[in-house]
Amino acid sequence: MARVPDLNVDLNRLRLANPILVASGTFGYAREMEAFARFENIGAVIPKTVTPQPRIGNPPPRTVETTSGLLNSIGLDNDGLDSFVEKHLPYLKELPTAVIANIAGHDVDEFEAMASVLDSTEGLAGIELNISCPNVSGGVDFGTNPQLAAEVVKRVRGRTSLPVIAKLTPNVTDIVAVAMAVADGGADAVSLVNTYQGIAVDWRKRKPVLGNVTGGLSGPAIKPLALCAVWKVACQVDIPIVGVGGISCLDDVLEFLVAGASAVQIGTANFYDPGLASRLVDELDGCLGELGVDSVGDIVGTLESAPAAAPAGKTTT
Amino acid sequence: MDAAAQSPLPGLVPAASQQTACVIEQVRMARDTYRLRLECPELARQIVPGQFFMVREQGGSDPLLGRPFALYDIVNNDDGDPIGVDFGYVVVGKLTSRMVDWQPGDTVDIWGPLGNGFPAPPDGHLVMVAGGIGQTPFLAVTREALGQRQYGDPPRDTPTRPGTLTLCYGARSEEYLAGIDDFTTDGLQVRVSTDDGSHGHHGLVTDLLKDLFRESPEPTAIYTCGPEPMMEAVAEIAAEHNTPCWASLETPMACGFGICFSCVTRIRLDDGQWDYRRTCVEGPVFRAEQLQW
Ligand SMILES: Cc1cc2nc3c(=O)[nH]c(=O)nc-3n(C[C@H](O)[C@H](O)[C@H](O)COP(=O)(O)OP(=O)(O)OC[C@H]3O[C@@H](n4cnc5c(N)ncnc54)[C@H](O)[C@@H]3O)c2cc1C
Ligand SMILES: Cc1cc2nc3c(=O)[nH]c(=O)nc-3n(C[C@H](O)[C@H](O)[C@H](O)COP(=O)(O)O)c2cc1C
Ligand code: FES
Repeated sequence: MARVPDLNVDLNRLRLANPILVASGTFGYAREMEAFARFENIGAVIPKTVTPQPRIGNPPPRTVETTSGLLNSIGLDNDGLDSFVEKHLPYLKELPTAVIANIAGHDVDEFEAMASVLDSTEGLAGIELNISCPNVSGGVDFGTNPQLAAEVVKRVRGRTSLPVIAKLTPNVTDIVAVAMAVADGGADAVSLVNTYQGIAVDWRKRKPVLGNVTGGLSGPAIKPLALCAVWKVACQVDIPIVGVGGISCLDDVLEFLVAGASAVQIGTANFYDPGLASRLVDELDGCLGELGVDSVGDIVGTLESAPAAAPAGKTTT
Repeated sequence: MDAAAQSPLPGLVPAASQQTACVIEQVRMARDTYRLRLECPELARQIVPGQFFMVREQGGSDPLLGRPFALYDIVNNDDGDPIGVDFGYVVVGKLTSRMVDWQPGDTVDIWGPLGNGFPAPPDGHLVMVAGGIGQTPFLAVTREALGQRQYGDPPRDTPTRPGTLTLCYGARSEEYLAGIDDFTTDGLQVRVSTDDGSHGHHGLVTDLLKDLFRESPEPTAIYTCGPEPMMEAVAEIAAEHNTPCWASLETPMACGFGICFSCVTRIRLDDGQWDYRRTCVEGPVFRAEQLQW
């Protein structure tokens, strides 16, 4: 008889019922998913990024499909923190799953202030810091500067007892250095990765396709890149990793777990397969049972890479 | 629709679901234009005119996302029970050029019903102004307005005494005119314009609308769907005559049900400002005066 595997996941202070999460910006405020998702099957819901003030977002077109991928420049269109707390949190906290708020600020003070507000609300399991959005200009790009990234985490931790996840941008030369810095700063986990910067060109019109010119690439096209980021960080930094990038089926989930992710987030796939995240946990459960694995943690980071291939201090391509 | 527009969190899709649907038939309607019939009873039972659904090829990742298509009409079996939907499409890009090869028996993913749809047909003289493939939502509108069919679950009320109904339909040329036979029905007057004069009025579809305002009975409500410049011109004419006008937008969409925030359009606010709103859940049908073109 197949054993019943333990699907619980511990991301330091954050314990989740299973490792299948849904990614910020790809699940709305959960309400929109009611018809499609079984929330109790999802390890955690991460609503769209919230900023201190309302943001109108970028001019359309905001998305364009590329080969097996999606380029987006939504620009953090949201109604601001007060509205999030008033309009969305009351609904979110009733969901039969953990809710992790995802926040972004222009400077460290804004991150701190938002963390204080959220700390005093009820119903959140943790906070994910979006220090990685490629679509907003004007702010400091925390995610590309290890010291600043660590500073944000440290100051946020000073304002809240909630577990803190730092979501990193892959648009850096050395993501390991940033992961190391935020681990030192006190992050409970890192989410790897946000989108890869790209553009789409309409050569006939001699114009960029996106209203914002540049955007962030997501979807199956980026899966090998995201896997690589997870693997590099897993090899060198002692911090739980939430893998995200192009996951669209159970094999993808297992690849991320084996490469070193303790949990994963489903992003772009929600747009065309809104029931996917709810199904995956059952599929994972069945698969681990067949493998005879006691706990999902037993397969995390089990990649047998040749020592020569493991990244040294410098990143290789 | 109006209830949804007033809700503080408008545009949820409690009735929608994702299903596998079987292709029943594919018919050529006009140049580069086809009609696909999919078997999906649940969707067919719920959808109302002006709503849409997303269609996607199964399995692969290129094309990756679903594509939005408006309901052309529902398909009923001999007992009158809804079993499927028809939609018309023009070949313009990646998915639509592959759809041409879909055969009866092939299965595809479909999710809906999505969006708000047109309001139930008003009394009086309803004029529908269509440009190109923008004609597709109007077959179901026509059949509902004429009391030939009911849509929705529970079924929406249809007028007991149908008013006057006119379709103004503009196309590039005669070979692009699609579904004229479908629209040939008692109670609907069809007026056609083509850019090259190969059929009907030689000129703009808005010329046809202007003519209608010189005749009797005058239009009392206008529904429009097609290229945005055309709809903007229609909205202007409607405003000049103080005639209520609803426009159905064809904003590109990535999800169709409100989670990606890619399908935004500019909506006028009471204070004179505007804000982006999601077309897929707050539209695709808007009162024309709400739109900041
Ligand atoms: C609510 C709603 C209802 C609709 N109903 C209908 C309907 O009933 N019938 C119908 O035919 N259509 C309808 N549409 C439009 C339909 O969704 C599109 O025609 C369809 O998505 C095209 O898909 P595709 O994969 O074939 O084209 P895509 O490959 O997605 O291309 C679409 C268009 O964008 C352009 N494009 C794509 N990528 C680029 C790029 N990188 N640079 C420059 N240009 C680019 C293409 O040239 C093409 O004109 C509707 C749209 C909406 C929002
Ligand atoms: C349309 C869209 C909007 C997104 N918005 C956010 C956001 O608000 N905050 C954030 O941290 N990440 C955002 N992301 C990034 C995703 O959460 C995820 O990191 C990325 O898409 C890679 O995963 P995927 O390939 O599975 O989509 C967004 C992605 C997409 C496609
Ligand atoms: S298409 Fe995704 S929000 Fe409208």
